[in-house]
Amino acid sequence: MTGKGGVGRSAVTAALAHIAQDRGTRVLVTEIGDDPEDYSPLARYFGKDRLATTPRELAPGILGAVLLARTGQELFLRGVLRSSTLSHAALRSDVLRRLLNAGPSFREMGIFFQVLHYLRTTREDGSPEHELILVDMPATGHTLSLTALPEVLLRLIPGGPIATALKEGQSYLNDPDKAAAWVVTLPETLPVSECLELLDGLDRTSMPIGGIFLNRVPVDPYTTRERELLRPLLDGTAVLGAESYWAPELAQRETARLLAGTRVPVYPLQQIPHANLVAHLAEVMGGARPIRRRTSMRP
Amino acid sequence: MKKAAAETVRVGDLIRTKRVIVCCGAGGVGKTTTAAALALAAARVGRRVLVLTIDPSKRLAETLGVERNPPDPVAIPADRQRLAGIQAPARLDAWMLDHKLVADTSVRRLTKTPEEAERILSNRIYQQASRMVAGMHEYTAMEALHRLVVTGTYDLVVLDTPPSRHALDFLEAPRRLSRLVDSPALAALLPKSDGMLARAASKVLSKILSAVFGDEFATEFVGFIGTFAGIFQALNVDVNAMREFLSGADVAFLLVASPAPTTLAEAHFFQEKTKELGLPFRAFVLNRSRALNVKKGMPSSLRDAAGGDVELESAVRKLEAAAVTELELAGRDVALLRDLELRAGEEATAVALPEMPAGADDMGTLIAVADVLLGS
Repeated sequence: MTGKGGVGRSAVTAALAHIAQDRGTRVLVTEIGDDPEDYSPLARYFGKDRLATTPRELAPGILGAVLLARTGQELFLRGVLRSSTLSHAALRSDVLRRLLNAGPSFREMGIFFQVLHYLRTTREDGSPEHELILVDMPATGHTLSLTALPEVLLRLIPGGPIATALKEGQSYLNDPDKAAAWVVTLPETLPVSECLELLDGLDRTSMPIGGIFLNRVPVDPYTTRERELLRPLLDGTAVLGAESYWAPELAQRETARLLAGTRVPVYPLQQIPHANLVAHLAEVMGGARPIRRRTSMRP
Repeated sequence: MKKAAAETVRVGDLIRTKRVIVCCGAGGVGKTTTAAALALAAARVGRRVLVLTIDPSKRLAETLGVERNPPDPVAIPADRQRLAGIQAPARLDAWMLDHKLVADTSVRRLTKTPEEAERILSNRIYQQASRMVAGMHEYTAMEALHRLVVTGTYDLVVLDTPPSRHALDFLEAPRRLSRLVDSPALAALLPKSDGMLARAASKVLSKILSAVFGDEFATEFVGFIGTFAGIFQALNVDVNAMREFLSGADVAFLLVASPAPTTLAEAHFFQEKTKELGLPFRAFVLNRSRALNVKKGMPSSLRDAAGGDVELESAVRKLEAAAVTELELAGRDVALLRDLELRAGEEATAVALPEMPAGADDMGTLIAVADVLLGS
């Protein structure tokens, strides 16, 4: 789940988790964090301040965990350095910690590995412990570097345990049946431009794109005739309420621009009141259908 | 004793008097636009200004009429400066950099000889993943800032910091890098290391590196660190100098934020952190705020214009309903602004900038924002 700040990405992620849980899927919601003590916007939608470093129940049937470079790196080192003395030394090694902390690729590698670890975790009957893992990505740059990570690092480190883990991760991330990147955006100028740039960037990685959630599409309360009558009264004046008139026009224009710029399916989500946001969203999203460009409509 | 009004911090004064303004904030809050508007405002009141930004949106570069990634700052085209009301000797320059270029520039500046620079730039590890060296671009932004201020080409340099979840990460990232170099075990990996303890530590470390990265990469990586050691050391000294420079009286730190449930918490965190680091925090800029909407009138006056037209009357009724909601939202943002003002205390202030759903990257809007900031 990706998209720039302020577009409602975490609320959409939380709603998706509820939908999945409702349909009987074991779901794990995760969010990339810098520090275990950080305030989590995603956890807030489940009435919590932060996510735990290992999967904990957030709501009935929904687990949550924060993805931290350090957690993943430790999981990785424990797995790779079979010798317990060596692994112990590695985990305590200040220089290794600083090294892993200094390189963003290493930090992403940690996050990547933590997700891989959750993908690998199975129940006694062999079925996956987490049937669906949602990853809430804080910044668009993060998404691109994380999805491009296997290719970048494999060029650099073609062999050894890191390469093995990267290839295993790729087998999930690059398979359209198993993984997809979803973009959350708004029908406004800057968000649409940034969404199109992000889709361009994603196209250059091998990560399949699921679709776009076009969030907070404003409801147009006016009929066509009412619009005609109001326009001369509102043009050039600043009165309260005028936003309800102009916002749908802007949204329509920007939606058209988004549809013209991509073939990825776009799911519009109507603007809804803040109270009970996630429950409302889950209801709307559960039945959402993609919209298409008018020109490309075929019978 | 009551403080005189003239003593309170005003953003307009910061724009008129400071030599460096650092804009911090998370991604997606309109930080780059705010930085551009601050720079424009200063140029409009007669100052020579540079806005320094990393990885800006394509459209902002287009609005300003500058290329991205030039080797040096470039002037905004003369016709646009005129259009923006900037009169010589005042000027507005922009420098928009991307990560790769910034990293390469750093390497060239921090190496002693061109040959050494070439050796690093052609290193496979460096080429494949210059992003592996985190903090490099943040560091260069600060270094460029310092250099530009010292040379006196500009009266004011506005720095738009790279987006990150933590507003002050751009100060922390170079620190992480320099801390790595301080490590004795890492130094032991380098050719001229001595001391038995260091050698023993280095032996364990290279064992770990080999097990984790594979022999081939581990060897290459150690070679890379060796080549980079000189740069790291230079960096360490400069990071401290830079901190000192940024704590000066000529500098103002601004936090750009947008109204969200986490805004107050973020503001609190930022203020504490700047205090801890001894940085001169001066203002919260609350972007996309609807606080200014409270000054707008209710649409009831339009009712008279309806003149008995049933459809228009129905439309105005809908408009009035929407107005009530908008007023409510505006009230919420006014309250947030007041909280931020309280939090700002006496050494800082809080200002609101209006929400602009159509974006603020055309010159007209940018000028309007600049004027709001000047009057704040």
